[in-house]
This record gives sequence, structure tokens and C-alpha cells, in this order.
Amino acid sequence: MRKYFEFARVQMQVHAAYSAWFWANTFSILLRMLVIYFFWKAVYSSRTEIEGLPFDGMITYIIIAMFLQMFVSGVGQELAHTIKDGNVAIELMRPYNLITRLVAMDLGDKVIHFVRGALPLSILAFIFMDITLPTTWQGGLLFLFSALMGIWIGTFFDLLIAILAFWTINLWGLQVMKEAVISFFSGALVPLILFPEWFQTISLFLPFQAMVYVPVAIYTGILSGTEAWLALGSQVFWAVSLLVLLRVLWSIAIKKVTIFGG
Amino acid sequence: MLSRYIKLYYLFCKQNLKVMLEYRMDFLLGVLSVMLQQFAGIFFVKIVFDHIHALNGWTFYEILFIYGIAATGRSIHHIFFDNLWTLGWQYIRPGKFDRLLIRPINPLFHFIADRLQQDGFGQLFIGIIVIGTAMPHLSISWGVLEFFILVVMIIASGFIFVAINLFFATLSFWMVDSLPIVWTIFNLSDFARYPLTIYHKGIRHFLTWIVPYGFTAFYPAAYFIEGTGFERLALLTPVVAIISCLIAYWFWNRGLKAFTSTGS
Repeated sequence: MRKYFEFARVQMQVHAAYSAWFWANTFSILLRMLVIYFFWKAVYSSRTEIEGLPFDGMITYIIIAMFLQMFVSGVGQELAHTIKDGNVAIELMRPYNLITRLVAMDLGDKVIHFVRGALPLSILAFIFMDITLPTTWQGGLLFLFSALMGIWIGTFFDLLIAILAFWTINLWGLQVMKEAVISFFSGALVPLILFPEWFQTISLFLPFQAMVYVPVAIYTGILSGTEAWLALGSQVFWAVSLLVLLRVLWSIAIKKVTIFGG
Repeated sequence: MLSRYIKLYYLFCKQNLKVMLEYRMDFLLGVLSVMLQQFAGIFFVKIVFDHIHALNGWTFYEILFIYGIAATGRSIHHIFFDNLWTLGWQYIRPGKFDRLLIRPINPLFHFIADRLQQDGFGQLFIGIIVIGTAMPHLSISWGVLEFFILVVMIIASGFIFVAINLFFATLSFWMVDSLPIVWTIFNLSDFARYPLTIYHKGIRHFLTWIVPYGFTAFYPAAYFIEGTGFERLALLTPVVAIISCLIAYWFWNRGLKAFTSTGS
């Protein structure tokens, strides 16, 4: 356990070293918040509500979803590159579990991103952008739990996709594809209740809405009461299934390494 | 001179195409993924327009048209000039840029020709489809002249993308890798996907006169949409493209002079 903790710690220090990327990220997020703000301001210029959501509810949803989406991807890139350049063979010989190590590093990454990035920026958003707090404290608590589940699901889904690097070399394409699918189905762009009925039904059976939509819908009160608890249940289901699926696919993929290795 | 470069570019392309054909699945994956990415953006606009009729007076098809011009213009940049992203981390940092300097051709040409990015074709397809979908719904009647202007506008849009990326990538000559800056500036182009009239005046001026992403989609599109009041500004698009390229190329040459290899 200790060694994985060390990996997480080192990863945080690595981040502190690359300040250029930190500022680039911060600045880009600020820009996106501006685009979002003006876009939705224009959308609401001639009406007061859409599907029951007033402007401040909508902007709250979109901004919180934007922040959450930053945390639902993981170290897939890292794993994919290790596989592509063949280092995975060496990594597998080392005295740790590669997947656990990567998840530990990812955790370090996310903690530092949260503290240095998301937290100060969301405080800014609260002050300047009409963002509201959860309606009830229970809702807030449930949101925290649900968001952690969403991040968990996203992290493992990311690793699952990365394993495909055993079969393709276009990692950039894989990454873009994954992000497109997630922004489609996860509700990161707009609340899923705005989507057509059939689309909502499809996404009900996919793991993506559990990443962003469920937690943020709980936060903004779109989901409450029994609905919220049911959604949480589906999150638990996906969290467990993805973990199992990852284990299975990983053990199949590793066999491929030994075949190549020679 | 020029014919030599054209021939050289052809040879470079041939090499790139061979790589593409070798990895056919990856080619498809790349094209498909970019199409999906673009589609997600369009779908978003569609969903929003299911609930509203107009965005600050702009209709769905007008927004689509802006979107299509942005996508097509960017695809030129994505297919032919994608290597600009890699100047710092793939050339200067590992000391590979020196290789380009000792060849008897323009280093910028060599650097650009080094890569043909097949993934950009997905963007091109989507862009053309989107423009094609939106065109019949605009109030303008499409003649040969209009088509010609549209093509010129799109090429100009592409070169504005190129010029802005080249300008900021050039900073790598002083700071080894300027990718964070290039990437941040590139994100500004997100603003350009929607009518600039929805933004605060300051943002609009910034995207028109400082970092001219407004000319990559909004102004060219506004030329074809009646009553926007931007028709004249829109005609400046090719001029802006040429000036941006000249400035970026001048800056690149200054960077080349200041360049000292990382050694190793």
C-alpha cells in the first residue's frame, strides 16, 4: 500500500514542476466558462426556463458538469503509451501491479488538480456566474458520494479503452473517440432531460450517464428522492461491472504480450 | 523553384500515404473519431435548438453554417499542417530540428511536409456535409460566384488557423516547447463556433483584431447571411489570412535566427 501512496505523492510533485501546463489549463478553463456563460445567456435571452430549468439552474448544471468531466478521464493515455512503445513488458516484471500503480498516480493527479485547479476556479464561478448551491444538504452529501462514483467509473472506463492499444496504434484517435462518446452520452454538454425521449432511453443502459449526469442532476435537484437513490444504485452496478471487466480484459491482453515478447 | 517544391511535397505525401495504407484500421479509427467529435458538437446545438427558435436572432441553420465553415477550415490545418503541434516536443527538445536545418530546402516547408494527418479527413467530410445541409436553408441564392467566394473564404479560414498556430509554435525556439501556449490560444477558436454577437464587445474585438479567429468562421458565414451588417468586414477574410501568414512567417524566421540547439 505504501509504495502506491508514494506514486501518488510523486505525481503531485511532478505537477507542481510543470507550471506552464497549469496556467494553460487554468486559462483554457476560464475561456470555456466564458463561452458557456455567453452562449447560455443568449439562449435564455428570450425565455425564462427550458424543461423546467431556469437560467441559474442551467448554468449551475453546465459548469458543475464541466468540472466533473475533467475528472472522469484517467490514466488511459499513460497505459496506452506504455503498451504502444512496448515498455509494458518491463513494467509487468516490476514488483507492483501496473494497474494499481497507474490508478494511484491518477489519484495523485486528481487531488492536485482539484486543489489547484477546480477548487479555486469553481469558487470564481460561484462569485461571478449566478451558480447556486444544492437545494438541500442531503442533496449536497449525495452529490459528493455520487460524484466520487462517477469519477471511479470514468477512471476504469478510461483504462478499459486504453487496453485497446494492444490492437491499434492510433492512440490519438482512440482518445478523441472516447471523449466524443463521453460528451455525447454522459450529459456533460447539456442535461439529459433536454434530449429526445429515445436518446434518454438508450443512455439509461450505458455507463456514461453515471459519470456526469447522475451526480450533477442530484446536485441541481433534477433527480431527487427515490429517483436519486435508483440512479445511485445504477452507479454502484457500473462501478463494480467495469472493475470486473477491466480485470478480465487485462488478463486476456497480458497474454498477448507474452506472445509478442519472445 | 516552385515546381521543385511541389514535386518534393508530392514525394513526402507518397511516403505518408504508404504509412496510412499500412495501418488501414487506424486510418478509419482516426477519421471516424474526428467525425464523431464534430458530430457531438452539432448534436449539442441541435438539442438546444429543439427548445428554442433562435439564438440572439440566429437560426439553427445559420449556426450550422458557421459551424461547417469552422470545421472545414480547420480540416485544412489539421490535414496538412498538423506537425505544427509537435515542433517543441518532437523536434526541438530531442534535438531533431537540426536535421531540418542542414537540408537544402526551406526548413518550414520540410517541417510541414513531414506529416500528413489523415485524421483530419473526418473533419473535412463533416464540414462539407454540414455546409451542404445548411446552404439550402439560407436566404441567399447560390450561383457560381457565391460558391467561388465560399471556397476562398474556407481556404482563408484554414490559413488563419495555420498562421495562429505557427506564430505561437515559433515561441518554442526560445522556450523549447510552447505547446501549452499554442493549445490555450487554439482553445480560443471555440468562441468562433457561435455568432460573435452573443459575446461581450471586448471579446468580439479581441477575436477580430488581435487573435483573428472570428475570421475563421463567423465573418465568412455572415457574408452569406442577410442583414447581419458584417458583409464588408467579411470580405476582409482573405486579407486577414494573408497578413496573418506573413506575420507568422516573419516571426518564424526571427525564431530560426534565435534558435540554438538543445545539443546532445
